[in-house]
This record gives sequence, C-alpha cells and structure tokens, in this order.
Amino acid sequence: MDPRVDARPAKHMTPILATLLIVHVIGGVIAIGMHNVILMHLLKKAPNYIFVSRLAWSAATLFFLSWATSAYYYVTYYGSAVKPRILAGATPAAHTFFMETKEHIFLVLPFVAISIALCTTYLRAVPDDALRKSTALLTLIALIIGAATAASGIFVSGSI
Amino acid sequence: MTLYGFLIIMHIVGTVLGVGAATFAEIHYARFNSDDIITDDEKKTLATTYTVMRTGLFLLVISGFGMLLYFRLTEYVDILSSPSFWAKMTIVAILVGNALLLQARIMPFAVGAAVSLTSWYAALVLGVIGKTISASYVEILIYYVIAIALVGVSLRWIHEWMHAPRNI
Repeated sequence: MDPRVDARPAKHMTPILATLLIVHVIGGVIAIGMHNVILMHLLKKAPNYIFVSRLAWSAATLFFLSWATSAYYYVTYYGSAVKPRILAGATPAAHTFFMETKEHIFLVLPFVAISIALCTTYLRAVPDDALRKSTALLTLIALIIGAATAASGIFVSGSI
Repeated sequence: MTLYGFLIIMHIVGTVLGVGAATFAEIHYARFNSDDIITDDEKKTLATTYTVMRTGLFLLVISGFGMLLYFRLTEYVDILSSPSFWAKMTIVAILVGNALLLQARIMPFAVGAAVSLTSWYAALVLGVIGKTISASYVEILIYYVIAIALVGVSLRWIHEWMHAPRNI
C-alpha cells in the first residue's frame, strides 16, 4: 500500500497544521536551549550528571517530537501550499538551498541528541573526563546544527 | 488579553530581567572584586544574578519564537526579512556563544563582560527602535562592535577606579 495515499495535500492552514507547526518550532527551540544548558554543565569539571542526563533525554524526546510534527506538516501542507509561493517569490533560495539543507541536516539532529543522552547516562555510572570533553564537543556540534536549522526556518518563513 | 499581547509582555519581562541582571552583574562584580577577594556570599549573589539573566534570556528566546510563529500564522512576514531583526537575532546568538566561551574559560572575563552588557542593551535598543532605523545589517553590527569597544574601555576604567586607593 502506498503510504502517501492518506497524506492528502492541504491548501489552507488548518488548526491541526498550525498546532503541528507550533509544536515543531517551540519543541525544537526548547530542545536547542536544553543542549545549551547541557553544554554549560559539561564544561564544568564535575557536572551533575543526573541532571545533565535527564535534560539530554528530554532534549532527544523533544527533537523527535519536533521532527515528527514537521514531517507531517511538510508532507501535507508545505509542499503543496508554501513551497510554490516561495519558488515564485523574490527569494527562491529559501526553499532550494535553506529548506533543502535544513530538512536533510535536521535528520541527523535527533540521533546526535540520542548519542548525547547515551553518553551522559554512561557518565552517570562511570565519570570519565575524556568522555565528558567528547560529549561536550558533540553537544556543541548539535547546538550549532540546531541554531543553523532554526535560523533557516525563520528565513524560510520570511520568504513566503 | 490576546495571545500576541501575552507574548509581548513575556518578551518585555525577559528583556527587563536580562538587561537588569546584566547591569547588576557588572555593578556587583566591580564592587565585590574591589578588594580582589570574592567571598562565598558574594559568589552566591553573583550566581543568583546570573540565574536571573539566564531566565531573562529563556523568556526572551521563547517569546521571540512565539512572536515569529504568530507572524507566520497571520502571514505578517515582512519583519522576518528586516535587517534590524536579523541583527537582533545575531546579537542574541552572540550572547549565547559568549556565555559558553566564558564558561569554558576561553573568553577573557573583561571582554566577555563587555560583550554581555553591550549585547543585552543592543537587543533592547533594536527591539524598541528596530522598525524605525534605516541602517543595513552590516552597519548595525559595526555600531555594535564599536559599542562593545566603548563599553569594554568604560568597564576597565570603572574597575581601575574601584581598585584605586582612597583617602578616608
């Protein structure tokens, strides 16, 4: 069965689509903020790993939630109603470069978030300074990807 | 109260907490460090001030994205392509990056303090008069860099003045 059969393209922003967009943006922003807090703690010599790992799992969950809601929004609304307007507008690069980059790089983010959560959970049991520094570097990479993704999202929204 | 009104209030509260805490962080640090010793009580006061500043930043970012969503859903997207808006976003990103560099002890404290204080005030100024200024993105950032240099020199002067011996 073709899974796309049920994904009927919408032409107008329904309350459900608006809710999905809100969950996608706010969930993503809070998850990025959580990675910021995690990084601040991992830069300390003796972080509270219980707090950090809980935050890391929360961030991973929010990234998956943000990912899932955006996927539904993209398939049912963006492609049919938003993308044509951007391509016909003054800055088609908002879709051809920024959205295309965003949607592919963002695929990595939930899995990077899970890696950070697993590392911090391991650090709870076995504090290891080398792993702490590596996890901090991974969190910094996740933070940069997250910030770039958020900035791309704003640019795409501003190009309609 | 409308949703937009709520977001505006949240944004203003976040800015007030952030600008106020950034100002008092500098005042407290200058006073506490005048004898080159920061006691445990003074450390706690500074930690509380930084917590208020981070709370302000959190409220500012969440309400900011809330407003962006509101503009997107109401199709009022002109603001999203204005130079002052992107300059403000850049300054908030610098604010976050500066906090991380200070935490990692990569950024010298004097430079970090000047960047933090200037960034908070720059975000406030751009939030208030951003729509009325005609400067480009690069021009705004040049003014911002000049402001950081001036604030850095002023803070250095204040710290030296606080350290100077006094005749009682």
